[in-house]
Amino acid sequence: MSELATTGPGTESDPILTLANVQQSYSGVLALRGISLDVAKGEFLTLLGPSGSGKSTLLRVIAGLEEPDSADVMRLNGHSIVGVPPEARNVSTVFQHYALFPHMSVGENVEYSLRIRKVAPEERRRRAEAALALVRLPDKYGRRIHQLSGGERQRVALARSLVMGPDILLLDEPLGALDERLRLDMQLELIELRRKTGATFILVTHSQEEAITMSDRIVLMRAGTIEQMGSPRDLFASPATEFAARFMGFENVLRGRILRVAAQDAEIDIAGQAIRGRVVAKNLRPGDTAFAAIRAEHIHVAKNADRTNHLRGTAGTPVYKGRFTDVPFKSPVGDLMVRLDGADDVLPPQADLNFAPETCVIGSIGPESAGQEETSSKGKKHD
Amino acid sequence: MSAIRKGQAGTGVEQAAIGTITVLWVLGVLLPILSLLVISFIQGKGLGFVWAFSTKAYADILVDFRIEIVLRTLRIVAAVTFIELLLAFPFALWLAKGLKPGWLKSTLLILLVVPFFLSPAARTIVWRSILGSEGLVNIFLAQTGISPEPVSWLLFSEFSVHLGLIGPYFPSMVWPLFISFSLIDDELIKASRDLGADAFTTLRHVVVPLALPGIAAGLVFTAIPMLGDNVASTLLGGGNVALIAESFDDLIRAMNYPGAAALASLLVLAMLLAFLVARLVLARRQAGEGGIFAEMQA
Repeated sequence: MSELATTGPGTESDPILTLANVQQSYSGVLALRGISLDVAKGEFLTLLGPSGSGKSTLLRVIAGLEEPDSADVMRLNGHSIVGVPPEARNVSTVFQHYALFPHMSVGENVEYSLRIRKVAPEERRRRAEAALALVRLPDKYGRRIHQLSGGERQRVALARSLVMGPDILLLDEPLGALDERLRLDMQLELIELRRKTGATFILVTHSQEEAITMSDRIVLMRAGTIEQMGSPRDLFASPATEFAARFMGFENVLRGRILRVAAQDAEIDIAGQAIRGRVVAKNLRPGDTAFAAIRAEHIHVAKNADRTNHLRGTAGTPVYKGRFTDVPFKSPVGDLMVRLDGADDVLPPQADLNFAPETCVIGSIGPESAGQEETSSKGKKHD
Repeated sequence: MSAIRKGQAGTGVEQAAIGTITVLWVLGVLLPILSLLVISFIQGKGLGFVWAFSTKAYADILVDFRIEIVLRTLRIVAAVTFIELLLAFPFALWLAKGLKPGWLKSTLLILLVVPFFLSPAARTIVWRSILGSEGLVNIFLAQTGISPEPVSWLLFSEFSVHLGLIGPYFPSMVWPLFISFSLIDDELIKASRDLGADAFTTLRHVVVPLALPGIAAGLVFTAIPMLGDNVASTLLGGGNVALIAESFDDLIRAMNYPGAAALASLLVLAMLLAFLVARLVLARRQAGEGGIFAEMQA
């Protein structure tokens, strides 16, 4: 992607990792259906998706902990890694539950990869101390693992992986086991760590918020395929498929039939209502079944009700969320979630709703094969 | 370890449980051993005792042939225990980490329990028809012309006693190893590979250190009962390979109870010494790493 800091503009540097048509299955069930992906040097790439989307499998395939059924190309730093065992790949994984060796001290854990590579003890110690300082654990060298908190263990796992100077650091939902507050801190710290080390990071997560905060590029996965790939802004503002829209947190995803398509915008018929929006998918044609997605905060209770995308709705029970209030409305196009900043607004039972066409994305449904059950974690049923 | 320490400062129920178990342990284990020690230092007189200090029992049993028996027993037990470890280690590792759960794994685990329910004599005596001068092995050797004369050292020899001991004590070694291997998180093994260690290095630096309690338990569970085994030596030793267990039978049959007690006391002493040596060796080895045994002692 263009906004990468480490790869200067115009330098056609080889990607650090190239995958082409990687297939993997578990007892006949396809977990990866032909994944092709290039990762640039120094990139912070996030594999985002619901459980069962194949994101962790892909990470393990890169690490060599799982051998894919087939792969046309798997190149790491210029060398093919097809059939290469994990110990011979210069990548390192930070496991979800850290996988620190309980019979070793913090220092011994961090030094493990150096000990294997027969680095001299003094040199080992020096590099381990440096790695521990990097993750802000300077004086825990002699501690036992069970004496550490969850956040500290996380940092030790990071130091242990970074100390060997891996081509790619693989992070398998590393923040999943931490509590809310610590998770937010660690997000910033990972960004900082990537900046300081200049290493390539590949993160696996199911949290779109985590992906958006940390990544240069997000790979959204669904049922073993790549659904959409792009910068956090791309995915957040312009999800190309219905699944992507739901997964990226669009509260209102509606289906309809395309009426009119222009270069930038389109009109879609949803239950007899014409809705205007921004086109995010190529080759949409009038008559196609498509989706329209609007974030709850982009729908407004209108004072003057003569604009486009105007709907009349009946308010349901508001849900107080602290910083805002979510109000479900029944409208001619279906249920709409509306986010109101002022928690104390008194709502009339009937209200005029509208939203700007540029905040409403219109795109294709996406592959029909994968059902909607996967989106249950995020999406709200509308039909 | 910390959980146990917390438990000691725990609720009344826990306190009561610890108290009860301690009392039972004193009554059931410590007291008999102490009585053994006491009896070994008095003299017997028919079915009763003469209550006066005496070392006659030790003098009685510490005769050449008895010392020979004790040493032979220790040697055979050590050798067979070592063989068991060599055999059980790869098998238990494969069972715990290599084999996916399924009918094969269940079947193998059940087969490992079955020997505990079989008569030891019944399964040991089978060896006679295999190893004897007209046994399967010698018939095979004769028919193939490898050895026209029956090979005599197959049966009623130290060889047959070793062989007869290996089978019955195999599960005792496999079980603790299997359990300790199973308890090792697969992620730790993957992490080790991921950090650059090949399979053997991972075995050495991760699997073996984490399985040490299981290895220690396996050695104890195998060696200690084997010290008292009288089936293999009686049925397969043919009087040529006398072990301690037979000496006990002899001494008790001769109503020399202080003698039997003295012999038992010596065995307990030998075991304590072996344990202390093992602990010292392991403690030194683990000192730098502050490993599992250091924690077990804490």
